[in-house]
Amino acid sequence: MNEENMKYMKNKNNFNRVIRAELLFMPLLIVVPLIVGILLVHDWFTRGYLLNDSSFNSSLIIGIVVLVGNIIFDIPFIKSLKAMSSKKT
Amino acid sequence: MVNVAQKIKDTKKKIDSLDFDAHWYRRAFHAFGASFVFYYMLPDLDWINILKFWVPPILVVFVIILEVLRLKGKVSSDHFFGLRMYEQNRVGSYVFFGVAILLLLRFFPQEIAIPCILCACLADPIMGEVRHHFTMKHVYVVGFLVCMFFFMIAWYKADISLMIVASIVGATGAVIGETKKFWWLDDDFMIQMLPAVMLLILIVCAQYFGFIVPENSVIIPGLWPW
Repeated sequence: MNEENMKYMKNKNNFNRVIRAELLFMPLLIVVPLIVGILLVHDWFTRGYLLNDSSFNSSLIIGIVVLVGNIIFDIPFIKSLKAMSSKKT
Repeated sequence: MVNVAQKIKDTKKKIDSLDFDAHWYRRAFHAFGASFVFYYMLPDLDWINILKFWVPPILVVFVIILEVLRLKGKVSSDHFFGLRMYEQNRVGSYVFFGVAILLLLRFFPQEIAIPCILCACLADPIMGEVRHHFTMKHVYVVGFLVCMFFFMIAWYKADISLMIVASIVGATGAVIGETKKFWWLDDDFMIQMLPAVMLLILIVCAQYFGFIVPENSVIIPGLWPW
């Protein structure tokens, strides 16, 4: 696939619309994975760690992976959104 | 007149800056997909099982209908932020992504589905970033190691030799699925389905040779209420 095809579709008419769509999606994109990650870690803590059951260890690792993985991509996403908002104003 | 020219110039600058923003939006959207592992935390209750059975296919059908409307021109592509040029006249990646996750949740055991979902949601954007900054060799190495880690998490309860083989097979499938790009079949589908099918074959072979394969023991369904 050539580089031209890999570019994002752009249209001057949808500039404001896409910003709005992003802002609407942002809480969902950021909060839901964090909640899921925290629930997995909580599940490991309450049913695994406190009850000394090692079968919940995978929940802990997956919880951490979900949390860290999302934070890594959420930070630049929020930064780019902030930069975009400041450019717009 | 000068004012209008300046305004056009400013608008062009803003549109160009969308490139970077759409880039991170797409990455964040990918990472968001990791939340679907929540499916396995849901407790084994009748009404929840009904929801687990019906909600994922309904969501995918909704997405397919939306995509058909977009491709037919009934819904403008302007509403779909972050689409690439090659997706203008082709089914969008997000549809392939959703269909593959649905197939994994419905037809594959946790040991296959969870690492494959994590590969598509986290390894794929990581490989994309590595491709952005380094060479393809780095993409293969980093992608392989990250995917292998996800498969090791899911298979750590199996026999150690089976865990290593499953991790290598899964990671190889994921890296091939991600790096081989076709116009008609998206890498978001391939990165999930190729390792899944390869591991399914491995499970059949492992059982034939007498290995005990752990089944649905990665995430134990949650108690309700917590």
